Amino acid sequence: MADYPHFTQYTSVPEAVTAFCQLARDHGLNVGLQENLDALSMAQLAPLQDRVSFGYALKAICCCSEEERAQFDTLYEWFWGWEKGALKAKTIFKNQSNLQKKAPASLVLMGIGNSQEGKEEEAKNVSGANRIERLRKTDFSKIEEIDSELLEEIALKLWKQMSLRLKRKMKASTSKGQLNLRQIIRSSINTGGDPIRLLRKNKKPRKQRLIVLLDVSGSMDKYSFFLLRFICALRVHFEKVEAFLFSTNLIRITEYLSASNLASTLSVLSAKADNWSSGTKIGACFREFNEQHAKRMLNGQSTVIILSDGLDTGEPEELFEEVQKIRRRTKRLIWLNPLKGMRGYEPTQRGMSAALPAVDIFKSAHNLDSILELEKFLLDV
Amino acid sequence: MTDTRSIQKEFDQLGYVLDEELATILFLTLHLQKPLLLEGPPGVGKTEVANVLAKALDTELIRLQCYEGLDVNAAVYEWNYQKQLLSIKLQEGSKKSEAEKESHIFGEDFLLQRPLLRAITAKKSPVLLIDEIDRADEEFEAFLLELLSAFQISIPEMGTIKATHKPLVILTSNRTRELSDALKRRCLYHWVAYPDLDRELRIVQKHLPELNQQLSENLVRIVQELRERKLNKIPGIAETLDWVNALVALQATQPNADDLARSLGCLLKSADDIEMIKAGGLEELLVPSE
Repeated sequence: MADYPHFTQYTSVPEAVTAFCQLARDHGLNVGLQENLDALSMAQLAPLQDRVSFGYALKAICCCSEEERAQFDTLYEWFWGWEKGALKAKTIFKNQSNLQKKAPASLVLMGIGNSQEGKEEEAKNVSGANRIERLRKTDFSKIEEIDSELLEEIALKLWKQMSLRLKRKMKASTSKGQLNLRQIIRSSINTGGDPIRLLRKNKKPRKQRLIVLLDVSGSMDKYSFFLLRFICALRVHFEKVEAFLFSTNLIRITEYLSASNLASTLSVLSAKADNWSSGTKIGACFREFNEQHAKRMLNGQSTVIILSDGLDTGEPEELFEEVQKIRRRTKRLIWLNPLKGMRGYEPTQRGMSAALPAVDIFKSAHNLDSILELEKFLLDV
Repeated sequence: MTDTRSIQKEFDQLGYVLDEELATILFLTLHLQKPLLLEGPPGVGKTEVANVLAKALDTELIRLQCYEGLDVNAAVYEWNYQKQLLSIKLQEGSKKSEAEKESHIFGEDFLLQRPLLRAITAKKSPVLLIDEIDRADEEFEAFLLELLSAFQISIPEMGTIKATHKPLVILTSNRTRELSDALKRRCLYHWVAYPDLDRELRIVQKHLPELNQQLSENLVRIVQELRERKLNKIPGIAETLDWVNALVALQATQPNADDLARSLGCLLKSADDIEMIKAGGLEELLVPSE
């Protein structure tokens, strides 16, 4: 392990403070030039010269979330502690997602420990933008444990951007709605104060329902974790997302998605979904959906996304019938199949080929880029 | 307020029990003139910090309560449209050019100041409280950026208004969503957690000095224990105070399970929680567990 700096190595306070800021930055805290300057001017304030207040003040400058505060404490003890390197043997967690990854549920979901083959050629350690580009194009099932952490980070960022873009586009219309007095006055000056041109401001249109059905059967193991995270990301920015898991039976998980902490969400889900990683009866699950939920949730304006590989052990006729029923109640039915990303894949399994005629959009969902492509279909959701 | 001790003392006199960390950060806020972002669960006294700070500094508190859909018109400024329309009508016959007319109706007389604009035009630096910023839309956060870093507001028709006296800005958030990095970077950050037994006890004693020591200790311990349970809505400090007040009003100097059952609504605000705690046995709550 590399030798970390310690305050005794520096001769003046400003030097030490700057060195600490660098250390914090290297460990993922959001400490830029401005924070560094703040810390320096803080160090000059006379009443903050004692150890305790100095620590508190530095913390307020360097941290911007609850999680970061714990990390800061370790770094602080490390750098400013009396005993040099007392804590060096301990590894510092790099960020929250690392912690979440250690939760058993997410490990199960990621299929780690199941199979190791087929990863050698794909996963070389490249750094920087190159690595990110590559990760975006890598099949989820071929991503190594180390990379998955980075991928999660990128994915969350990109999905957030995506939903923000979607939100903005929704507000563009201006043809109807409440009168916009501000604009009217402005334009009425041209006509000597008579408000002739009426300008309006429109409310954000009410968002339509988005319903997501995620397959968590054994064959989807490698993908279901990432796809579930994707659903969580959708949930943050679309108010009306309904989410279901299915394999041999159907579980509604909408309420669990609302928790901001994904790790706890996942453990709740895996406790609830005792059929995780088992066989698939897509047709039967869809019938359950149609019987219990469809009437309430589908109003002809909704978009339904099915995330499944279509490997079905039930009757293809039943599947077709049920998919058809869903189709009739929706504006658009999107089927995302991770297998479609494989070269030479044809939807020839019985289930998939049976369902295909009823599906509007059939796309792959095997890597990050393919999921981001979904944006254009969600535009008018 | 020249050091952390004096801040603590000042707050203490105004009835707010301040821990050393927050006192240090307030001191820093005053001296670096940076906004302070307070995050934490509801009911831990985030808003109260701003209230007490304004009192301690003997200055005005300007409060902006955020909500979904909050826009510039409600937060920063709005033109007085009726007055503008009237003025245009009155000027109809005059020989003034269009440019003159326009500059007239977009003058300061026609400007309605909303909290943020009021805060930067105030004569003496006020305390600006932007409450529950996490409820506002992300777009609104962007409006705040200019204000928080440069303490200025741009009005397209008038130009930029710069603060004559920098306001002390305190933002609070319940963390129902993550705030943008850009906003966080402009602020000092502090996480306000639920108080520990010792601090909560001091708070209760501060507010109800005549209450007997043992009773208040017992009540605070119960609240602390309840916070450990898996409740839908965890009681904050305000609830603790309400509850203790309720028991005093019920004249329950030696509260029994019955008193507890009657007053539980002050503490727990969800039917499920109340049911769960009652099912768990109220007598057990009264006896300190080791």
